[in-house]
Amino acid sequence: MKKITLAIAITLLISSSAMAHFQMLYTPESALAKGATIDLRQVFTHPFADEHTMDMGAQHDSKEVSPVEAFYVLNKGKKTDLLSTLEQITWIGSHNQAIAYKSHYKARRMGDHLFVLQPAPYYEAGEDIYIQQITKMVVNVAGAPTDWDSELGLKAEIVPLIKPYSIWTGSTFTGIVKSNGKPVPFAEIEVEYLNRDVNLASNSMGPSHVEAPQDSFVTMGIKADANGQFTFGLPRAGWWGFCALGAGSDSHYKGKELSQDAVIWVQVRDMK
Amino acid sequence: MKKQLCTFVIALTLIAGNTFAHTALMSCFDEGDGTITCEGGFSDGGSASGVEFLLMQNGAVILSAKMSEYSEVNFKKPVGNYQAVFNAGEGHKVYVAGEDIVE
Repeated sequence: MKKITLAIAITLLISSSAMAHFQMLYTPESALAKGATIDLRQVFTHPFADEHTMDMGAQHDSKEVSPVEAFYVLNKGKKTDLLSTLEQITWIGSHNQAIAYKSHYKARRMGDHLFVLQPAPYYEAGEDIYIQQITKMVVNVAGAPTDWDSELGLKAEIVPLIKPYSIWTGSTFTGIVKSNGKPVPFAEIEVEYLNRDVNLASNSMGPSHVEAPQDSFVTMGIKADANGQFTFGLPRAGWWGFCALGAGSDSHYKGKELSQDAVIWVQVRDMK
Repeated sequence: MKKQLCTFVIALTLIAGNTFAHTALMSCFDEGDGTITCEGGFSDGGSASGVEFLLMQNGAVILSAKMSEYSEVNFKKPVGNYQAVFNAGEGHKVYVAGEDIVE
């Protein structure tokens, strides 16, 4: 009986942990006063609790990770492939280390630089499924809006209705969950706060900022409406991630179930 | 008559709103080939094509141009201090000092 209770507890821990995976596409500053070369980090982690960092592209049938499938940026409608700029690194989380990536990008032209990262599906042994999180993040130069609301027709995508780099603390973010250009009604969305300082020099996470009063505050679950639209209030400055679970059209990978998710990151600022 | 006057006032208000509700923007960078590119725009995403662009040095205009169809101007980097000016009308001017323009 004790063994059964323990097994259930372990299963619950694994499943709750697996629910909170977030593909991070991080840069320190999303609203630049003028053009600059920016640092980027691509890490598959749990941004609030940082209890486990995953090897990006881990496979069930190989010890080698699969490379990132796509990484590009759009500025004024012009697409630039950034796949060759990715450099594999070891990311140091609070509890383990994992394979991640870093890159640099010269964001010198005015307007929005809309980044899209499509990692290879990651094998989650705890659930015997693959997870692929197609991730968007926007950096703006000099305040001119250009590409932030572009609909890219991705297999899984969150299209913002509010500029992801221009959000005051206490205001809201609104987006539409889409798959191949069509809204996903009542999409299940997870929301997490990046509860850590990111150390670019050492490729590591710092200590946490806030404590959650209860587990439901670590990964907050919300749902989109019948049109795939959702709104979430943002109570604290920093980076917030939104992940629409299983919104994508691909359901299997290498014979296993695939959760093809859409992620978008938004940065919130205090009024000072 | 009252209705016509009211419509006229609303129309004027809308026109004024369109003109002044946004902010003029400009960002410049050094191309690294001896030239500078300046891009203009507005906070509402509007095009800056045709907007006046001035290059000032020692209080004098050394270049007067219009923003291209891509809302940008490219010019040879002047020697010494200079200032790029995006002139979209009264209250809509943006100044960028040459020393702040980097690659």
